[in-house]
Amino acid sequence: MSTAFYWSIAGTAAGLVLVGLWGVLTRKNILRIALAFTVADTGANLLLVWSGYLPGRTAPIIDGSIPASDITSSVVDPLPQAMVLTSIVIGVAVAALFVVVGVLASRRTGSADVRRMKELRW
Amino acid sequence: MIRTLTGLIIVLALGAVAASVIPEMQMRSELQGVGYSYASRGMDETGSSNLVTAVIVAYRGLDTLGEVVVLFCASTAVVLILTLFPIGVRASEPSRIVAFTAKVLPAPIMLFGVYFIAHSHLSPGGGFPGGTVIASAFLLVMLGSSSVPDRNGRLPAIESLAGLTFGLLGFWGVLTAGQFLNNTFLGTGTPGTIVSGGLIPLISIAIGAKVASEFSGVFKAFRNTRGEA
Repeated sequence: MSTAFYWSIAGTAAGLVLVGLWGVLTRKNILRIALAFTVADTGANLLLVWSGYLPGRTAPIIDGSIPASDITSSVVDPLPQAMVLTSIVIGVAVAALFVVVGVLASRRTGSADVRRMKELRW
Repeated sequence: MIRTLTGLIIVLALGAVAASVIPEMQMRSELQGVGYSYASRGMDETGSSNLVTAVIVAYRGLDTLGEVVVLFCASTAVVLILTLFPIGVRASEPSRIVAFTAKVLPAPIMLFGVYFIAHSHLSPGGGFPGGTVIASAFLLVMLGSSSVPDRNGRLPAIESLAGLTFGLLGFWGVLTAGQFLNNTFLGTGTPGTIVSGGLIPLISIAIGAKVASEFSGVFKAFRNTRGEA
């Protein structure tokens, strides 16, 4: 993986987080806000996986393609990948809850517009 | 206008922070800390070829138990809300393409999900992705039919049984090795074979069954016009 490609992944990840945040802050339809939230979530996950990358190495699965005597210098860091798996699952759970509460709130006010949901406004 | 402006300011500020912080994260050339320990000892200690699965299920099994609990709470909340306040969307008749696909594809998809779960310690995969794959097959079955899914207690029963299995496997380690979620008391086997990795395949099956039944229950709750779980 070239250096440019390596940094472009970090840029993509940061960009996804920013786009998601932008969507959460400026969109008015609550389902679009939920969608923007998952986009930001994806960016955070990508940044975590990216942080565990080591140049010229392969996935942390020890099979015939990796010399058994030299595991520590042929695989990438397994820890961020394990944490991202946790993060993805929790992200899905939160998104499902988000959508259900959003649908309920939009039925209550008759539209999915967050400006008409005044119960939590201060 | 104010909303857009405020959003722009916050996003630009965070972008400036990211642009100054991320270049500081130098590309490492060697594994360090726990990552090094997992890579150097992981296969010998757990018998799992897939180090990511070894970290998730063996080294950080307690975290995974907590994650399963979080997922359980979220899916319970979704089903509960949809039961109390049904959305009331009428399921429409599926098109012929969807109906045909829903007859053909679920079986191979489920087989793939089972493979994902059973080989979690050998190849990419694991209980969470495998369970999601199986649940997607159930979703396809529901999309291919215009009828409302039956109300029965099978999905919650599988879910509870799988969660209980995870906990009991952990306590089995307390009884035999004096440690909760001990991975090695059954022996770790030869890495790379299907019967290896100690408790990892068993816990993966429990997680897979739990995730599959949980997500199927959520899809079913969304699908159900009367909102009955």
